Amino acid sequence: MDLQHRNNARVMGDGPATLVFSHGFGCDQTMWRYLVDHFTGRCKVMLYDLVGAGQSDLGAYDKEKYNSLAGYAQDLGELIDEFATGPVILVGHSVSAMIGALVDRQRPGAIAAHVMIGPSPCYIDVDDYVGGFKLEDIHSLLDTLDSNYLGWSSTMAPVIMGAPGQPALGEELTNSFCRTEPEIAKQFARVTFMSDNRKDVAGLTTPTLILQSSDDLIAPVAVGEYLHGVLPNSTLCLVANVGHCPHMSAPCACSEAMDSFLSPWIDPHVD
Amino acid sequence: MSTDEPPLPDPQTLFECAPCGLVVTKEDGTILRANQTFCHWIGFDSQALVGRRFQDLLTMGGRIFHQTHWAPLMQMQGSVAEVKLDLVHHDKHTVTMLLNGVRREHANGAFNELALFGTIDRDKYERELLNARKLAEGLLSEKMAADAALLDAQTQLNRAYEKAKRRASFAEQMVAIVSHDLKNPLTAIKMASDILAQGERTARETKLLGHISQSAERAQRMIADLLDFALARVGRGIGVSPTSQDLHTLVRQSVDELRMAFPEATLLHQSIGSGNANLDADRVQQIIGNLVANSVAYGDLAQPITITSRLEENQAVVSVQNHGPVIPASLIAILFEPMTRGTDTDSDVRSVGLGLFIVREIAMAHGGDVSVSSTPEDGTVFSVYFPSTAAAQ
Repeated sequence: MDLQHRNNARVMGDGPATLVFSHGFGCDQTMWRYLVDHFTGRCKVMLYDLVGAGQSDLGAYDKEKYNSLAGYAQDLGELIDEFATGPVILVGHSVSAMIGALVDRQRPGAIAAHVMIGPSPCYIDVDDYVGGFKLEDIHSLLDTLDSNYLGWSSTMAPVIMGAPGQPALGEELTNSFCRTEPEIAKQFARVTFMSDNRKDVAGLTTPTLILQSSDDLIAPVAVGEYLHGVLPNSTLCLVANVGHCPHMSAPCACSEAMDSFLSPWIDPHVD
Repeated sequence: MSTDEPPLPDPQTLFECAPCGLVVTKEDGTILRANQTFCHWIGFDSQALVGRRFQDLLTMGGRIFHQTHWAPLMQMQGSVAEVKLDLVHHDKHTVTMLLNGVRREHANGAFNELALFGTIDRDKYERELLNARKLAEGLLSEKMAADAALLDAQTQLNRAYEKAKRRASFAEQMVAIVSHDLKNPLTAIKMASDILAQGERTARETKLLGHISQSAERAQRMIADLLDFALARVGRGIGVSPTSQDLHTLVRQSVDELRMAFPEATLLHQSIGSGNANLDADRVQQIIGNLVANSVAYGDLAQPITITSRLEENQAVVSVQNHGPVIPASLIAILFEPMTRGTDTDSDVRSVGLGLFIVREIAMAHGGDVSVSSTPEDGTVFSVYFPSTAAAQ
């Protein structure tokens, strides 16, 4: 199994620790472009695409294996074994934060610290727990995915008039970003939004930084607070941001918080 | 611009009344301005929309999709095209729209500029396509499940068939071996009793030797029947080797031999027509022997048993008639099945109820068939038919 090919893994920079960036539902590793440069001078950085997303090997997509987050966790564990050196800090966006927690449970010690960006251990309200969504909301999402993946819009990202005011992106990146096979996208949506990882995170003692947007539909503040409550070595950092991707829309606030949290492993001095 | 062209409406009017919805938002989605067309489609007036977030107008699915897909896209590549979204009208019904958006940086900051197009009919058509696809996928998966089940059943059937074949072959071999092993001691018994009978014996000894000899013969016939039964039922079937035979001569010889075997009965031979038939001579003799033995066992021995050989245009027929009691219809129906007996009382008379079954099997091996009729007037008549496909002359 060629892991590099399977997950389109890219390793950059060098240093005493390895930062592994794992993207969330809907996109691929290019979402880290606003954050990565900040770290490559000081540590080793690994980016990769979840199987089924971006430029991963679609041939490796196995409906059985990826029918739960455990399949993705297995991949991430293998990638860490293969490419990481020194202490590993996992930077996981959204569902990838939970994939990281699963790896931590499966291989205690493999991950030295977590940076969870917009994490949620459970998206659906259960009893007293408020995840923010009801089951029919998830079905509504699956409907929207369906109608946007009919074929004519499967790429989801045709550039209609260039990208005004944006630095030019390589065409390669532009075309793969957010593009997913419709069936894979639907299964991943189901696996992501139906998952309940509250038992996996409860009591996890690995140092964890929770980057919580002040206004996030997908992972509301209450969910960030819940996680802070069940993770004994966690730091909750509220980032003034609207939306689910603070690492894209508020990258400076994110990197600042990360620098101070990561100082035991990575020199906070920026060149 | 030439002066004779009418002046365009002012840009304000062009914006407000454009044939598509136009919305300008901040990067976080807060609506700064929406044109009248959009307000009209969505059922809110302009003032009610300003300050709200565009994504809050979407269905929940659309809002998640916005967060996970097109908001990052706007950020990454500065534009999206042909995103289909359901918006919630002021009246709470959904309005499906296509969205093109561009993120543009102006001197005083970046804005998202959105153009929206109603797509009701197109959406309806696409949903039909989607439903058709789902239906097709459902049918496909049903078909695949059915195929898998069929394959599974076939595999099981093949396995069962192989097992049955092995069992049949084993049974056939076993019967053949047992028959063969039993024949030898019986032959020895019969020979020994024949030799003893040649010397001077008292009447009582002669009678006892006769019993020994007859019993040995009966045991031999039963073994032969059993072997045939095993071949027919579980093995390869009874084999025949037909050759061209003079039917009447063949039947006469059989009847002559049977007269010796059944001195207590009166056997008449009647021949009709003339010519040859394609028959296995030994097997036909076996048929006549079985039918005559049955007639002796169940018939009225005060009246003759008539064996008729008849050559017709398309077939040769051998029939045996006796005047015993009428066989009930319920028994007629199963008479040719194995292990069927005429009555329970004559347990001593013959074998284990395989005779008629073997008669039919031999007839069928010749491509022919059997029939039986039983009436008070004509008695009981068993007939065996041999088609004359390859009959000589």
